[in-house]
Amino acid sequence: MGRVLKSLVYWVAALAVTAALFYGLDHGVMAMQGLPL
Amino acid sequence: MMADRKTTLRFWIRIIAALVMLGAGAVAAGTDLAGSVEQHIAPVGRVQVEGAPPLQPLEQTQPESAEAAQESVLVGAPQLKRRDYPNIGVSSRAVVWVVAQMHLFFGALVLAVPIFVLVIELIGVKTRDQRYDDMAHEFMKISLTAYAITALFGGSLTLALFLLYPQFMEYLTRVFGAQMLVYAVLFFLESLFLYVYYYGWDAMRYGDRKWLHLTIGLMLNGVGATLMVVANSWVTFMMAPSGVDEVGAVVGNIWEVMKGPLWNPINLHRFVANIAFGGAVVGAYAAYKFLAARTQEERAHYDWMGYTSNFIAILAFLPLPFAGYWLMAEIYAYSQQMGITAMGGILAWLFIVQAVLIGTILLAGNYYLWAGMSRTEGSVRYQGFIKWIALTLVVCFLIWVTPHTLILSASEIAALGGSHHHILGPLGIMPAKNIAVILMLIATFLSFQLYRRSDKVATVKWERAGNALMGAIYVIAIANIIFAGIYYGYFTNTVYKVGSSVMQVFSTLVVIVSGVVIDAFMFKGARQLPSRWGQVPDRAQYALFALPIAFTWLMALMGYVRSSVRTHWHVYTVMKDASPDNFIPTIGYAGNMITLVTLLFLAFILFIFWIANLSTTKQPAPVVAGEGA
Repeated sequence: MGRVLKSLVYWVAALAVTAALFYGLDHGVMAMQGLPL
Repeated sequence: MMADRKTTLRFWIRIIAALVMLGAGAVAAGTDLAGSVEQHIAPVGRVQVEGAPPLQPLEQTQPESAEAAQESVLVGAPQLKRRDYPNIGVSSRAVVWVVAQMHLFFGALVLAVPIFVLVIELIGVKTRDQRYDDMAHEFMKISLTAYAITALFGGSLTLALFLLYPQFMEYLTRVFGAQMLVYAVLFFLESLFLYVYYYGWDAMRYGDRKWLHLTIGLMLNGVGATLMVVANSWVTFMMAPSGVDEVGAVVGNIWEVMKGPLWNPINLHRFVANIAFGGAVVGAYAAYKFLAARTQEERAHYDWMGYTSNFIAILAFLPLPFAGYWLMAEIYAYSQQMGITAMGGILAWLFIVQAVLIGTILLAGNYYLWAGMSRTEGSVRYQGFIKWIALTLVVCFLIWVTPHTLILSASEIAALGGSHHHILGPLGIMPAKNIAVILMLIATFLSFQLYRRSDKVATVKWERAGNALMGAIYVIAIANIIFAGIYYGYFTNTVYKVGSSVMQVFSTLVVIVSGVVIDAFMFKGARQLPSRWGQVPDRAQYALFALPIAFTWLMALMGYVRSSVRTHWHVYTVMKDASPDNFIPTIGYAGNMITLVTLLFLAFILFIFWIANLSTTKQPAPVVAGEGA
């Protein structure tokens, strides 16, 4: 059970970090083209 | 070790010096620009109407004296009549079409092979693995035979153009002037470096001499790339003339003539495409040798060579749609009419055929990787992914080939419920196709990643966290790509729709870069599982044959589209085509011509493979009767 829970924590953390990264990337890439969001 | 570092340093100093010299040349050529380059693009829309008085150049300053007037006379492009074109009894366009396309096929091959040969040779030096050096040398053998054929078709093309389109060539040589002689000089240099590079391979094999050999390879590639961009400038001038006024009179210097709006997009697209094409052709050579191999050692060698070729072809192919997108965006920016002719008019169906061919390339490339997984037992861990990757490729392929604007009969419109299908209609436009193409590229990268992992077992403690991060990047990137395509593509204005495609490109790059970086760290010091080169099913080799066939067909197809968007102009908006062939042919006729040149090229390639094989074949000495007894 501990192993599954650990994997779940890794996945949730990784998804949160990656989503934040892409959110920033979307804003940056569009702003770079003069298209603010 | 120290000496090795010094020679490496020396090599990179040479590279930097060469780049600085190239940059200085470009700056020197550009310093005399009077204003921005955009001001020197011939204006689109002011055209010479037949029968009307000739157009005069705009904004001509009044000459101060008769002598100055004599000097400032600007000669525009000739306005031709049907009788200005020689008639040799067969279609002039068909002759030039075949010869030009053949020259381009071989030119692409000859310029591309030395690029990855140099990289493979450098890897051989760094890893001290002789096999890389032998493979690079063998690749060059194909390039060398193709070089002579390239020159033969180049000479034939020059003769055909001057014979069949003399006035047009007179105008083009007047516009480009001495730059064409620079091309000739580059051609001599290319030959010099190519022959020294190939024939000096064994004479410069170790130590400092090896670095001299690599430098010659670098010079060969520098000259080759310059040769290509010079020739590209003639083609892009015909599509989007710059450095001339609206009647075609030269008003700029050679740099302004060359640096039209489509020059760099074409340069980038062709440079990358050539590498993919070259990789595919040498992959077919490896497959041919693999199937003909008689010993296990030979099978292992050519299996490895085929894998490397496929790696080069697909790796170069991944960024290619982005370069193509930039080229089409620049075409639309230069002339909306030209863009619509290509993608929304008579040529639009050919973009659907393009999707079929690219789908073939990606399916063949992926299939080869999946088949190659059988080389190691560690691949069992990843076999479950294959069916999902295949499903993604097929679904995206079907979205990509969904047409949008169809010419329909009344009964077909009734059956369809309107001019567009209510469900499939939205899949016919670019946002849906962008999503499909990018997901196909990501699926292909995933195949690569799984293949690369299949013979390794990670030993780092953070393996599970690393895999979770990699998985999350795939999930979020794919969600972001689909969101950007659907939301900005269908629910916002056009500017945001086009801008969001850059967002999709960056998302793809994040997947690829993070995949390479995470795997590099995760599999550092990993436990290696045995890989058995040569233990790959024969049918995988046919995927390697499919790649160059699809690539060649694709180059012929899109080369025709690129050329055909000029419609009835030799040089768009400044020099009309008055020849009997000044119309866009039917799609069926174009398809036949495209297929004809493809088959012709493949026949030549088989000849080259045979010649390459012949050079290593030795006839056994005859046994005199009674000698063996």
